[in-house]
Amino acid sequence: MTTQRRSTPASPHNDVKIVRTFPRFTVSQRWEHGLLLLSIAVLLFTGLPQKFKTTAWSQTLISTPERLETIQQIHHIAALVLTALVLYHLGKAIYLIARRKLPGEILFSMQDIKDAWNMLLYLVFIKKQKPAFGKYNFEQKVTYWFLFFSIGIMITSGYVMWFPEVVTRIIPGGIIPAAIMAHSTEAIVTFIFIVLWHFYHVHIERLNLSIFSGWLNEDDMRAYHSNEYNRLMRRPRPDQEPGDLKS
Amino acid sequence: MVNHKPLRRLPGLFLLAGSIILVSLFWSNISRAAEPEQQTEEYCLSCHSNPDLQMTLPGGDVLPLFIDSDKLQSSVHSPNGIECEACHTDITTYPHPTINYQTRRELSRVYYEACQKCHPGNYSRAQDSMHAKVAEAGNLDAPVCTDCHGSHYIQPPDEPRTLIPSTCGNCHSTEFTTYQSSVHGNALEQEANPDVPVCTTCHGVHNIQDPRTQQFRITEPDLCASCHANQEMMAKYGLSGDVYNLYNLSWHGVDVSVYEARWPTIQHNSAVCADCHGTHDILKPEDPKSSVNPTNLLTTCQKCHQGVSQKWTGAWTGHYKVSLQRTPFLFYVDTFYSIFTPIILWVCGIYVALQFIRFMADRVRRSL
Repeated sequence: MTTQRRSTPASPHNDVKIVRTFPRFTVSQRWEHGLLLLSIAVLLFTGLPQKFKTTAWSQTLISTPERLETIQQIHHIAALVLTALVLYHLGKAIYLIARRKLPGEILFSMQDIKDAWNMLLYLVFIKKQKPAFGKYNFEQKVTYWFLFFSIGIMITSGYVMWFPEVVTRIIPGGIIPAAIMAHSTEAIVTFIFIVLWHFYHVHIERLNLSIFSGWLNEDDMRAYHSNEYNRLMRRPRPDQEPGDLKS
Repeated sequence: MVNHKPLRRLPGLFLLAGSIILVSLFWSNISRAAEPEQQTEEYCLSCHSNPDLQMTLPGGDVLPLFIDSDKLQSSVHSPNGIECEACHTDITTYPHPTINYQTRRELSRVYYEACQKCHPGNYSRAQDSMHAKVAEAGNLDAPVCTDCHGSHYIQPPDEPRTLIPSTCGNCHSTEFTTYQSSVHGNALEQEANPDVPVCTTCHGVHNIQDPRTQQFRITEPDLCASCHANQEMMAKYGLSGDVYNLYNLSWHGVDVSVYEARWPTIQHNSAVCADCHGTHDILKPEDPKSSVNPTNLLTTCQKCHQGVSQKWTGAWTGHYKVSLQRTPFLFYVDTFYSIFTPIILWVCGIYVALQFIRFMADRVRRSL
């Protein structure tokens, strides 16, 4: 938790309004998200024309065989970036686990199932109040874990397709058509999920840019993460915050 | 009553005129029997039915001049009134003009031009063929009409159907022998099968093109599909009629269809039917000598995918639909996504819609 002094241009007497902000993501996490966004966007834009290469719109993009090759190369480079990102993410998690410093906030708990149920009751107008959430609500946990496994499937099947000769030295060849199907179907499922689920929650429900800025303001904290807000307000001691989330 | 007189005499007049005509006909026939009119088959055969008739061309070739009258009568032309002079337009009388051709081949290559008088379509198609191009390039052995159809004793070229491969086999003997031992050639010769392809089914008839070009290669799956995608015909032989459709969904097939649609002239090596099954030597996959028999499949794959291991062959789903027995991996993935995809779509869609409705309802309530 930090406090920032911000001069409001509307006040002529240079009054100072104090806006309290709460740290939410580390610099490393913000960079990870940025790279993830970029690599997935590139993978999607270079992958879709390949998946639908028999259609007219794809053939407009892929006008020559050389262009197809270029698109494949860009796809491979983006895949390497994503792989490096995943390795960094997992490596960091293992490092933090080893040092007993991994925050458990993103893991599912029984509370999330209760929250989801109560949220559903709220959505169908049975309950009047939204459930109170901690640092990550169940929607955000679903987003993280859905993409975690989705990217796992995409990377595994992607490398099977990239190096089929090597893979079939160890694994039966039947894995290759299965990987082709999994890669192209999972991509579509992930695309649908990101557009429907993630974009709704961070753009339409409210504009939540905390993953880029790193902090969340007090109003949003109170409205969407009240449990976390109350916890932080009760024990405002930054040195006791778990993990590497240093303010 | 006076009027009746000439009518009474009419039958008598007819009888008289009739007998005069009849007698004169007999008279003229007798006079012509000794010397048939020139330019008729009969007139020509009066000399050319002599089996010993021949001449030596300036180049040294002996040109037999004997015509077998019986065989000529059973050919397609003569009984229909198309006689010698229809083709031998330069010969109108005896003595004949001198022949200036050095060799028999030179003579054939000039005489076959006569075919275009009546068969202009097939003649011009043949001029666009691989054979004509080879001839232009200097190979005078390249066939002309008469090399395949014959000259004096022309018969329907496809009766019986086995005649077609043996005609082509006169020159293309290796291909003919290979074809005879293939599943197609064997069925043609042993069972007189009317459905199996003969040379002309795939290569065309008169406008035969070079089968080694990229254009031929890229359209080759469509060629095979003209029979192998015919469900009715395939059912007759217990074969699957889905092979072409399933090929088109495969990695190779998608690739080939894109090249066919977009870049038909650009060299590309994604496998087409013939790359794995062979061409003239196609055998049943159950045949241990077949290139797609499981025992030979790895060698066939390695033609393009050098150095792959035995497990690689399992990547090929073999023109079969997804099934648990044959392609378990693919089956599980297919089943998983056929459930998972709609679930994600519906759950996300409904949840977000509910949220949006609640959000709007709250907003409206607050503004009231």
